[in-house]
Amino acid sequence: MTDSTEHSPGEHMDITDSVPTNFSILVCVDGSSESDRALRYAIRLGSGTDANLTLLYVRPIDQELRTGGLQFSVARENLLNWGIELPGMKVLKNARDQLIELGLLSDETQEDFKHTDVVGDPLGDNMIIYSTESGRTITLKLMVAPSVTHGILDESDMGDYDITIIARADSHDASGLGFISPQMAEDIALEHSGTVLIVHELEESHGHLVCVSESNESIDAARRDAVIASRCACPVYLFSVASDENDLASAERAIAQAKQAIEEVGIKISGEKVVIGDPVEKIVEEGKNYSVIVLSAPTKKQGWRRLFATSVANRVLENAHNTVMIAR
Amino acid sequence: MGRRQFPRLARLPRVPSIRIGRAGRGLTRAPALRGIAFFLWEKRWFLISLAVGALMLSFDPPAGLERPGYIVLTMSIMSVILFVTEPIPLPSVALLIIVGQVLLLGQDSTIVAKSLMSDSVLFIMGSLMLAVAIVKQKLDTRIAYLIVRMTGTKTVNVCMGITLVCGLLASVIGEHTVAAMMLPVAITLITLTSDDPREVRKLAAVLLFSISYGCSIAGIGTPSGGARNAIMIGYWKEFFFDPGNPETQKYLIDYVTWIIYCYPVFLLQIPFVTVILFMTFKPEYSNMSRSVVRLRKQIEDQGPMQSSDWVTFALFALILVGWVGFSDQIGLGTVALLGAIAFLVVGLVRWEDVNSGVNWGVVLLYAAAISLGVQMKDTGGAYWVAKSFLDLLAPFNVDSGLPLMTAISTLTTGVTNTMSNGAAVAVLGPITLNMAKAAGESPIIIGFVTAVSSAFAYLTVIGTPACTIVYSSGYLKTTDFLVVGYRMVIVSTILLLLVANFYWPLLGN
Repeated sequence: MTDSTEHSPGEHMDITDSVPTNFSILVCVDGSSESDRALRYAIRLGSGTDANLTLLYVRPIDQELRTGGLQFSVARENLLNWGIELPGMKVLKNARDQLIELGLLSDETQEDFKHTDVVGDPLGDNMIIYSTESGRTITLKLMVAPSVTHGILDESDMGDYDITIIARADSHDASGLGFISPQMAEDIALEHSGTVLIVHELEESHGHLVCVSESNESIDAARRDAVIASRCACPVYLFSVASDENDLASAERAIAQAKQAIEEVGIKISGEKVVIGDPVEKIVEEGKNYSVIVLSAPTKKQGWRRLFATSVANRVLENAHNTVMIAR
Repeated sequence: MGRRQFPRLARLPRVPSIRIGRAGRGLTRAPALRGIAFFLWEKRWFLISLAVGALMLSFDPPAGLERPGYIVLTMSIMSVILFVTEPIPLPSVALLIIVGQVLLLGQDSTIVAKSLMSDSVLFIMGSLMLAVAIVKQKLDTRIAYLIVRMTGTKTVNVCMGITLVCGLLASVIGEHTVAAMMLPVAITLITLTSDDPREVRKLAAVLLFSISYGCSIAGIGTPSGGARNAIMIGYWKEFFFDPGNPETQKYLIDYVTWIIYCYPVFLLQIPFVTVILFMTFKPEYSNMSRSVVRLRKQIEDQGPMQSSDWVTFALFALILVGWVGFSDQIGLGTVALLGAIAFLVVGLVRWEDVNSGVNWGVVLLYAAAISLGVQMKDTGGAYWVAKSFLDLLAPFNVDSGLPLMTAISTLTTGVTNTMSNGAAVAVLGPITLNMAKAAGESPIIIGFVTAVSSAFAYLTVIGTPACTIVYSSGYLKTTDFLVVGYRMVIVSTILLLLVANFYWPLLGN
């Protein structure tokens, strides 16, 4: 540790001017306990500044051609006639109940229903939009897509969200058609064009470990995360890994640049650290002590190179034991 | 704060008539949005199949195989890759098969077009229309009433009742029809037991698998139980029947003959389904009295049988008489089509419902797969593959008799778990029938082994239509199918081989 300055969480939270208005959060829920944690974290991120919140459950499209030629809609319609709900309804209802318990929704909240037809599925997308007097919206969306991965990526693209939060539950926690498997979560993080938080065993009070290098993307990502972390009063720690002694100066410069960029938006960091070693190993090991590991990743504009990409972010995502944020 | 109801999402549109997106948001646009790299990654199996095809065709045919046979074999391998991996919509594979026959084999397009239609295809088309008509009649409540009256409230009895009733129905009207009708019954029983899926996970598994496996084991019971049966009947006729040779008359398998061969296999499997399910899942509730009583009340509230219900039963009885008594003269397909016409004429179903309820792409897919299978036989491709496979088996002494049946059953079970069972029979049928010919075995017995084994798709969600339908409930994990499926495969294979070895030879082939 080259230098470490401890600050209590929330000490430097006077950043109202730097926080974007109409901050919007997409939370992908699948009924797992991890997705409950993801929702709680989203509520914490969104609190105080009236962020718009969208809860998304993706229902994979019914597999028409695998039902031997009988359109699935015939079976689905029969289910609905019996009063049986679509998969995902219960998950969204539970999430809605949590919002009610936390006081984010009440009987007075105005609600609108919206249906979007989708080619290939007669039931399409359905959502309820709750609007508060302050202009904040909370949306519960039941979406149909070729796959859960496609659905989340589509919604992220269309919704222009500031952050997408996805639960990465273990397979034994799997249930339901919309379950987001660890592989799906990694695929989404890789393919996403914005900031993604992959929630896994999230303990909220340990701060964000922001891993930086000298690239502009990394410094921007650090600043972006600091703004997000400030929303939930989470302390920010900077971390940089030098591959060897010769690289040490570069790592320290990265820390300095990130610190300056973050402080320019009115947020103070709570600590910083430079180590030497393999970046992936060091980040995963150090990250265990924090709520969230934050990394930057290339945007999706690299075309073919994405196919062969084995970036530090991807490898950390595969190996991390806790929550990882890919900031773009 | 009181919890509010969630009214509007619960009242989702129930009319499946919306086919074109008003908002222009099509599901198929997703890959294009992801960029070219993602698109190519998603289509990698399509590209791989093209590369495999191009590579194979760049070589000379192996010894003993003519060029046309080699081309058809190449097309078959490409089709199997595409059937299994599904990088493009499956009906596109059918279109590729049609185009391939014209462009690569140099066949006249009119002849290729004619090869697409046969009695098997008419049967698939007719039975799908019948499926829609029957599901629309809401007979599920009547069937549910029958089950709960018959079984009482013990979970094991309810499961056995479901398996039995699903089986008896699916052996005649197709497993997708029965699964679509019975799924709401099972889900209602589950939700009436507990609202929390985690509390009834194992109960849900035994009830839902009782439906899917009840349907799967029964689909082989009669020719009308599934497309694969009609396809095999078509292959026997196409490959071995010679109108000028009375000896080949035995290859015209009629409805009753099929039942005599295959119904015992279905009946033998019934008790094992419940035993295997209960050994695997051990449900949380041994008695479902609360939910059965509530279901009974729900059903009784619907009142007595309506006249339309009686007409449906009468029509269905007539169709059954047609299949049993006349299918050898006018074809299974004609009877199925007559049944569909009757439902339309009487007004029990609208054409619009039939049109939207049948996936015509599947009909096209089966038509193309059968056409390719016939080409495999005509060009000698199927015989060459069969002979090569037998040469491979010979050193292990599994090239005849029971060992050969075991090998064919294992091969078919492996393939059917990765693609639809109809497609598996369409692809494998020409090969296994030629294996029988080359090995001096009865094509009828080997054909039955292939057709029956194609129903052993217990391991995957996509294996059978019934599995796919019950999986859509959201109560099952894909791993559940593996956990219970391998036991079903072992037991079903043993029972099939016992019947094939000891019972079928008694029938004379």
